[in-house]
Amino acid sequence: MGWEEMQVRGYPEFVRAAQSYHGRPIFALFCGDKDADGRSWCPDCVTAEPVVRKELHNLPDESVFIYCLVGDRAYWKDPNNEFRRNLKLTGVPTLLKYGTPQKLVEEECFKAELVRMLFTED
Amino acid sequence: VQAHKEEDNPQKTMEVNGLTAVPDSYDYDLIVIGGGSGGLAAAKEAAKYGKKVMVLDFVTPTPQGSSWGLGGTCVNVGCIPKKLMHQAALLGQALQDSRKFGWQFTEEVKHNWMTMTESVQNYIGSLNWGYRVALRDTKVTYENAYGEFVGPHTIKATNKKGIEKLYTAERFIIATGERPRYLGIPGDREYCISSDDLFSLPYCPGKTLVVGASYVALECAGFLAGLGLDVTVMVRSILLRGFDQDMANKIGEYMKEHGVNFIREFVPIKVEQVEEGTPGILKVTAKSTTGDQIIEGEYNTVLLAIGRDPCTRKIGLDKVGVNINEKTGKIPVNDEEQTNVPHIYAIGDILQGKLELTPVAIQAGRLLVRRLYAGATTKCDYVNVPTTVFTPLEYGACGYSEETAVEKFGEENIEVYHSHFWPLEWTVPSRDNNKCYAKIICNIQDNERVIGFHVLGPNAGEVTQGFAAAIKCGLTKEQLDNTIGIHPVCAEV
Repeated sequence: MGWEEMQVRGYPEFVRAAQSYHGRPIFALFCGDKDADGRSWCPDCVTAEPVVRKELHNLPDESVFIYCLVGDRAYWKDPNNEFRRNLKLTGVPTLLKYGTPQKLVEEECFKAELVRMLFTED
Repeated sequence: VQAHKEEDNPQKTMEVNGLTAVPDSYDYDLIVIGGGSGGLAAAKEAAKYGKKVMVLDFVTPTPQGSSWGLGGTCVNVGCIPKKLMHQAALLGQALQDSRKFGWQFTEEVKHNWMTMTESVQNYIGSLNWGYRVALRDTKVTYENAYGEFVGPHTIKATNKKGIEKLYTAERFIIATGERPRYLGIPGDREYCISSDDLFSLPYCPGKTLVVGASYVALECAGFLAGLGLDVTVMVRSILLRGFDQDMANKIGEYMKEHGVNFIREFVPIKVEQVEEGTPGILKVTAKSTTGDQIIEGEYNTVLLAIGRDPCTRKIGLDKVGVNINEKTGKIPVNDEEQTNVPHIYAIGDILQGKLELTPVAIQAGRLLVRRLYAGATTKCDYVNVPTTVFTPLEYGACGYSEETAVEKFGEENIEVYHSHFWPLEWTVPSRDNNKCYAKIICNIQDNERVIGFHVLGPNAGEVTQGFAAAIKCGLTKEQLDNTIGIHPVCAEV
């Protein structure tokens, strides 16, 4: 069985999704919300998403890719939002391997090499 | 010209004496063996100059099975976890002091080893990852494989699955560091742990015997006791060999008065298991160094901290003719970190006669690479390097110890100024008023230049750093006297 993707929005949905996949490797990409035309308020997320998607075929078998929209710009800017407080996120986009200290933040997500390293190496 | 048979294996050809087939171009400009403080600094610096670099890093698991990620000793099993656990112990003390400052809490405060260890390991994990990102980002090739020389310009890299690959390079930097030494007595590898195991121990060590009197031994004993554990230190002869002995004794006294037991002039001769468990119970038999007396004791954990040995014996140095000190394993280098083989260099803890400190290895690595690839000429300055021992009462030092100063300049030519001090923060909670101590050693014949600085007290590292810069600028006693102090801080003394 290869890998599968799940899309969620907001912190409680993310937590439920992560818990439901407990036991499998979980990778998550956090981006700013998208408007009616599908464009995110976060320009770096717009750049990063295609780079990350192009590397998804490298995901290990059985793993889960959670694509998570964090909220609008005002919510994200609040220093106390749940993503900052509980997941210790410092910026969007963030691509991480859940349950490990391994993550890529902002411009690091633009680099295919680094994304591939996160997906394929221990 | 010596003719020799063409061998099928091209590698073999390179090992044959006489005319060796040197390849036209190498796989890499530089291969660094060892991904610790020195190795990584050198590799990243070389990549800055556009060089093609490879780093090989491999951790042979400890007898207890511990292993760790990229970054070397400091990051994984040295300075970083040590300072964090020292901080954990200091916070315990602060909690006790806080009551005198008006904080009220009814429960007795207890320490949870697992919570602390998990947080520390998490942080270390983020550092390991950070290094891997940094290397990949700067296009340095990293392999988690054991590197050894098989030919003058060839390295064999073996990964944990046993797969071997060969790589060639124009130049090499050996930065393999050291690992803890074992006693060589029955039961040592089976039952004892070392600093390599302590910082990721998946259970609280309990009642601990620390064998050794190095800074590693005293720092570990110090924080374990600070966390509330029953700690005993077994010392063969003196404390902190190589450090100012006046200061070393004060450190020992302080630790003794604050709950650390010392067994002096004994060495363990046998370790046996009384009961299995995490931790179990171990019986240690020790013999006196001054007579025939034998003693026994039972502990949950025995931590060996009797020294560290360079990882230079099994990396094929004999195949490429690099000289090592046969007795110690250390590599002698010239003042440009070059070994006796011109294209092979060495940095860090493995060097003979140099300080075993992370910042020294980093500086040496960076300057070496700049000399090799950027036309620089600056050499690493190993003189007046500041250092700090993070025992419960911290000790910072820069320059000569009193003994070495007397030996080098003569007792009549040096002047020692000293003072006890009582940190303001210690007054209210009634902590010791005569333990903190500072001294400077001055060379009378050279304008009373400050050649040694020693301070025993809280935040010793922070205090010492600034003084190290002043000493580098040639600080004299008069200049020191003319510098107005900051009040109220310990450093004003």
